[in-house]
Amino acid sequence: MFSLLYGLWKYLFSKAEFHVLILGIDKAGKTTLLEKLKTLYSEIEGLPPDRIVPTVGLNIGRAEAYKAKLIFWDLGGQLGLRTIWEKYFEEAHAVIYVVDAACQSRFEDTKSALEKVLRHEDLHDAPFLIFANKQDLQEAFSADELANYLDLKELNDRPNLFQSISAFDGSGIRDGISWLVEAMRKSKRTEMLRHRADAVVVA
Amino acid sequence: MSRILASLFGEKEARILVLGLDNAGKTTILYRLQVGEVVSTIPTIGFNVETVQYNNIKFQVWDLGGQTSIRPYWRCYFPNTQAVIYVVDSSDTERLSTAKEEFHAILEEEELKDAVILIYANKQDLPGALDDAAITEALSLHKIKSRQWAIFKTSAVKGEGLYEGLDWLSNTLKGRGR
Repeated sequence: MFSLLYGLWKYLFSKAEFHVLILGIDKAGKTTLLEKLKTLYSEIEGLPPDRIVPTVGLNIGRAEAYKAKLIFWDLGGQLGLRTIWEKYFEEAHAVIYVVDAACQSRFEDTKSALEKVLRHEDLHDAPFLIFANKQDLQEAFSADELANYLDLKELNDRPNLFQSISAFDGSGIRDGISWLVEAMRKSKRTEMLRHRADAVVVA
Repeated sequence: MSRILASLFGEKEARILVLGLDNAGKTTILYRLQVGEVVSTIPTIGFNVETVQYNNIKFQVWDLGGQTSIRPYWRCYFPNTQAVIYVVDSSDTERLSTAKEEFHAILEEEELKDAVILIYANKQDLPGALDDAAITEALSLHKIKSRQWAIFKTSAVKGEGLYEGLDWLSNTLKGRGR
């Protein structure tokens, strides 16, 4: 009985908790974004960009935004380390894919890495937020230009948004995150993950 | 060199456990970091702990694996641990599965649940040493989902990779608002 009531209480009053994977090839700015997210949405002041070293593992950020608890998983993007990305897919509610929009020479690499992620069945129905990062640099492609360039059919069957941002100065991030939280709330995937978690508790 | 360490970890008391199977290179790493005199203690319970006090940071080292009867004594060293540095002999492929089991057993310790995890894929100077991606796979590092981790390729005898790892560690600990 207690657990029933507790479950009900939890259902009614606890904030939704979402796991968000931050992916992208190396040097895209994932960890700079994570640290900026901490600064914008948590009590902790994120590290300044000049203190950030390439990630060879997992960084975690916790934040609250738009009445949701967000747990960000930032994984290293170097080629050899991309193999571990998929181990985190199953539990992720959504993906933020970060692109260095000022580095056209690596757009093909970023596109093929993103295609692989999109095709993976463990990320079925997950909303995708694609950040065209480094807008503080003059040569950066805008979100629309990047969307045209990447031209990914696989995005069409799921909620997605291309957003221009600068993880360096923070511009554009809030618009993206508010879309993402809303997308996760409405997402079929969120419902699927909740059912699966409930099933585990019952078992 | 050791002045770098002082600036890395700030003023607060910290305990850092340096763990791994025997012969992984743990003590060599401490000597390389020149943090101070390594003091070896062999108490009557037969569990050998090496301690290095460096300013406010206490590094403590022991071998995992072997006798299970002494394991309860390990817990004395768990409270206030900010970080675990797990050292792996990347060339000892035969014992990687043991290294993995011991590693995950340590992670389950309640008092270590807030510690961040730094993995040194050590002995990169030896032929046949596996790289960071392969060690990540072999240790199933992806199973860690609720705390931060990072892996660095190191050679303790050449002194390579050690400070890069510590840099990550100090950034991470500061980033958590400690």
